[in-house]
Amino acid sequence: MPFDLAFCSRYPFSPQARQYVEQAGLSLTASVVEKAEARLRLALESGRIKKVADLPDAWQEELAVYACARMIASAANNRYLIGRYAVAEAKRAGEYLAIDDSVRQDYVEAVAEGFGIAFQKEGRQYSIPFWQYLAFTPRSYDYKLSNRQLKGGLVKVSRHERLRILEEAVRKRMEATLPIKAEFPAEVKEAAGRLLALLPRLEPISSNVGQENYPPCIRKMIEDLSLSLNLPHTGRVALAIYLVNAGLPQERIVEYFRHAPDFSEKTTTYQIEYIRRRKYSMPSCQTMDSYGLCVADCRCGNPLRFRDRIHGAILRRLEAERKGKE
Amino acid sequence: MGTVEGEGAKRAEDACPEERLIRKMFSSYYRSAHFEAPQIEKREFGFGGWEKKIEFRHIKAKSEAELRGRLVSEAPLYVSYSVAYYEFPDARPMVRKNWLSADLVFDLDAPQHTCGKFTCAECFEKVRQEAIRLIEDFLVPDFGFSRGEISVNFSGSRGYHLHIRSQSIQRLDREARREIADYICGVGVSFERFFWTEGKKLFGPTPSDGGYGGKFARAFMERLGDDEFCLSISRRLKSREEKDRLASSIMQGNWDSIGIAARERKLREKFEQMRLGMAGKIDANVTADISKLIRMPGSLHGGSGFAAVPVRSLEGFEPMRHAAVFLDGELRVKVAERVPALEVAGVRFGPLEQGECATLPMACAMYLLCKKAAVVA
Ligand SMILES: [Zn+2]
Repeated sequence: MPFDLAFCSRYPFSPQARQYVEQAGLSLTASVVEKAEARLRLALESGRIKKVADLPDAWQEELAVYACARMIASAANNRYLIGRYAVAEAKRAGEYLAIDDSVRQDYVEAVAEGFGIAFQKEGRQYSIPFWQYLAFTPRSYDYKLSNRQLKGGLVKVSRHERLRILEEAVRKRMEATLPIKAEFPAEVKEAAGRLLALLPRLEPISSNVGQENYPPCIRKMIEDLSLSLNLPHTGRVALAIYLVNAGLPQERIVEYFRHAPDFSEKTTTYQIEYIRRRKYSMPSCQTMDSYGLCVADCRCGNPLRFRDRIHGAILRRLEAERKGKE
Repeated sequence: MGTVEGEGAKRAEDACPEERLIRKMFSSYYRSAHFEAPQIEKREFGFGGWEKKIEFRHIKAKSEAELRGRLVSEAPLYVSYSVAYYEFPDARPMVRKNWLSADLVFDLDAPQHTCGKFTCAECFEKVRQEAIRLIEDFLVPDFGFSRGEISVNFSGSRGYHLHIRSQSIQRLDREARREIADYICGVGVSFERFFWTEGKKLFGPTPSDGGYGGKFARAFMERLGDDEFCLSISRRLKSREEKDRLASSIMQGNWDSIGIAARERKLREKFEQMRLGMAGKIDANVTADISKLIRMPGSLHGGSGFAAVPVRSLEGFEPMRHAAVFLDGELRVKVAERVPALEVAGVRFGPLEQGECATLPMACAMYLLCKKAAVVA
């Protein structure tokens, strides 16, 4: 595709846009920084990013604003902020993709190409290599591979699903490339500071009573979640099972998951209910380790036993002290 | 890793004569054995002994020569390597290893059978057929792997391991691999996803479709040659013309050309009865485990004395013949339990009663010693 500023402004994460910015350079004017901060604030508050007027004048600025927003997000260096921002940028791209899907197919193709995703058109549908399908679709009933047409390594997807896959690719790219490690100008750092002040308060969670009795792996997962680090599915399930077994009420458990970048109250509540109803048993330490969730050799066999172990130790110590006094 | 060697040496002293003999034989095998461990420096190794298949893990080997040296000196009874590649294979806990990528593997085992630990020829034949089915009905046509990308390996015991090392699958996470296993097992397949009505007409898959829709359409067309099957669907299918009419309309995805009573219920029943997936044939947990330790190709299996040999072609592969390695010499053994008539490395022997002594070719004797079914006489 020949160079196209309109394309770059719509899809500022594309290799073409990056190349343009590298060559043209950026000027961080006060207006750009202000707009970039607004872009992030809106992303943080509503999960969206506003589209700008589709005019050549705005295109170039849009690129600068995007680059500056990434700098601010990096300066803030907060997983929750980055997670929310990635989701919002993906949604913004999704909206443009939906428009371009009917009028500028070459744009959609160029976005796919930028991610190295090889869609092929097959009648009214598209096909995509199965490993890319698995990498960019949610694990849900709708996308279950077992119910898909899979042939010669290609999975058939609808026109709409093709756009959803690209949106997810944008989100993953944003998450993987932020934060940028660099020293930023003062006005960028100040903007980052103002955004950090807007973040939901996380302290109440980590000061929950009883948490000091949780084993290291569970504490680590809670910490990751509160920092909005994406916890893999196996980790979320293990954490929920642990908390259910620790006797926490539903709302308290939901609270732990509230800062996950893709948090949905409804889904989370349902999943915890499900675990409670089906009486899922806690994975052993060995299983936790094989999932990559074990962080310390506490040798308790099962995370649920950690509590007894330390309590047991304290009891024994108290007993010994008492005997010593007698 | 001084501790591991130290413990190994201590164990050698109080090992039984059988274990000592087996380790001596294994050690000599590893002097010149060919084993396959691509990117050896990034894999974690696990060694097993007389009691446990993995006694020591988190072992790292910088080169083939280093690994060979350890295999010769320690002669573990089982050698596993990680399907994963790590930055620091010997670090622990697991997260510190820094997972980079992993091969995609499939594990097939012979079914439970009265032959017990002396896996019989029929059981080996069954699992061989399943391995062929996995490759020819799933991995090649559906997933698009070439036969050259799939390394088949005898597990050393009762089945086969398939290793796929292609770049495309290396970075797939646990959940993605679970999806692949679920697909192969047919987990989550639902009839509704492949059939739908437009107006009153029932539409469904054509034989050329990918996925379970196509599998069902093809199996269904094939079964139209079977009168009993046809009758269970509709009396109309007694007639040649009606059969042809249905067959040619299915080719277009129209499943409603001849008016079958309760068509959806009947088709759904057939869909479920046909067992188009491989549920229970592969171990989905092995495929999903991105840090699984699996028998190293070319290593020996301490429970059989066979080598986990790479299988160039499954056609005509017989484990009891082609995986036996100790072909020189003979040994007098005393049988500790009843042993059925067997054939190892082309030599028939048995049945042998408990307490009976026999002088057997080395491969047969090693097989019985490893099975803990005999002692050195
Ligand atoms: Zn059998």
